[in-house]
Amino acid sequence: MNKPKVKIYLVDDHPLVREWLTNLIHQQPDLLVCGESEDAPHALQEIPATKPDVAIVDISLKHGSGIELIKNLKAMFPGVAVIVLSMHDERLYAERALRAGARGYIMKRETAKKVITAIRQVLAGKIYMSESLAAVFAEKFVDGRLPAGGSLVEQLSDRELETFQLLGRGYETRQVAEMMSVSMKTVQAHCAHIKEKLRLTNAAELLREAVRWQENHPSS
Amino acid sequence: MLRFIKQLENRSRLVSLTMACVIVAVIGLVDYLTGHEISFSVFYLLGVALAVWFVGKWCGALVSMLSVVVWLIGDFASGARFSSPVIPVWNAVVLLTFYLVVVWLLARLRSFHNNLEAQVLQRTAALTDQIAERERLERELLEISEREQRRIGQDLHDSLCQHLTGATLAGQVLEEKLAALHLPLAADAGRMVGLVEEGIDLSRKLAKSLFPVEMEADGLMLALEEYAGTASELFKVNCRFECDSPVLFHDPATAGHLYRIAQEAVGNAIKHGKAKNILIRLDASEESTMLSIHDDGAGLPDELPKNRGMGLRIMAHRSAMIGGRFQARRDAARGTRVTCELPALVPTEKSPL
Repeated sequence: MNKPKVKIYLVDDHPLVREWLTNLIHQQPDLLVCGESEDAPHALQEIPATKPDVAIVDISLKHGSGIELIKNLKAMFPGVAVIVLSMHDERLYAERALRAGARGYIMKRETAKKVITAIRQVLAGKIYMSESLAAVFAEKFVDGRLPAGGSLVEQLSDRELETFQLLGRGYETRQVAEMMSVSMKTVQAHCAHIKEKLRLTNAAELLREAVRWQENHPSS
Repeated sequence: MLRFIKQLENRSRLVSLTMACVIVAVIGLVDYLTGHEISFSVFYLLGVALAVWFVGKWCGALVSMLSVVVWLIGDFASGARFSSPVIPVWNAVVLLTFYLVVVWLLARLRSFHNNLEAQVLQRTAALTDQIAERERLERELLEISEREQRRIGQDLHDSLCQHLTGATLAGQVLEEKLAALHLPLAADAGRMVGLVEEGIDLSRKLAKSLFPVEMEADGLMLALEEYAGTASELFKVNCRFECDSPVLFHDPATAGHLYRIAQEAVGNAIKHGKAKNILIRLDASEESTMLSIHDDGAGLPDELPKNRGMGLRIMAHRSAMIGGRFQARRDAARGTRVTCELPALVPTEKSPL
């Protein structure tokens, strides 16, 4: 056993989960938990010193959001592969987490059986997600609803793009109408066209897409 | 007639007194003109009654005396002669006594009437207070139950589920340790992990039912979408959620109430209306934000059985609590249409997500 152990860092606000996750990981001869913390600021402080290969992060933390932490980790320590561990429904949060830069998403209920698999898969350079989630993504891909890059946004008209951007910045439909000096009906029509062009199924998805796009294009 | 009396009551006392005197004078004149043989004494009561009712009993007594004097003068002026000076005095005293008795009776009647009115007013005020208090309590009750549900839901989700996750991890460690020792007990440990995982699922579902709407502004859209899916699956109906443009709620309580209204309406549509298609919509216009639930079921019956009104009442109540206008009616074509319309709040500032 000359090979150095793979180092794993844990961020979870529940001590029992951290404790037993550590025990479980230590069952593996080649894996080592190099540090743990219960919130994002502490984690960002410790990670440079501990130099983990993998970070396991819970989305809901006491201080700071897990999604923000993932983005920070991706920006500051691109070498650290992040696996998200969450109590939240994967259908609602996995896409967000993966887009923020995570390499894996595990529902907490499946943690015990899947976490080691996920670590190994991520270490091999692959993305880990549950089979049912992979099926959902595959379906979206086949439907063409998963846009490759921002190319679909380019099909929007100027007014539609403006609507899309304002929604992404957190304005409500009513405010958007006011700012663009048009009626709500017009904004709703814009929304309908955007949904059609971006192949989004509903308004919640439209909003998420707008926010995501805005985050990636903050200057526009 | 009653309205006329009410109008008189609102006039000033001086006007009433003047009217009484004028009536007495007019009757006195008629009494004089018709001669002393015809008695008009009873008609003076009109003026007396007016004075008692609208001014007071002392004024009534005064007008009584005035009437007697006017009557006497009228009789003398029209040529009445008496065999003895005692007779007109006797007649006057009898008449005055009669008037005073009437004055007293009317004054009592008047005071009873006033008391009754005051009592009615008092009781009405007390009742209004009680109703307001009850409404406040009802609101409080609903809020408490909502808050408690949310708290329990969050605790389940944040504490119990996490704790159980720790337990599954511990079980997994045990399983692997037993497996390393080549003990057949490892399989049992594995089954135990599975059982605890099912426990996590159960408590998550419970938490979801207690606390369905996440705190984020787009939480209601997500929650309704998820609910439509769950309802379709669970009840084998076609339940859809539609929302043309994003509708955000920055107050989680409002979102929570709207969610419960939708839940109740969909539940009713399936249970009582036997609906097959249900559409939940969130719409925003310049003036308002509207949640509507439309189904193709049997529609609301004209008269609800006693045990069924409760759900509707609670929906209406929830709607009132968040300042909304609630309506549940049979649709013209078929089915039921439940709506809750909230006035649009003028956005004061930027509302980042």
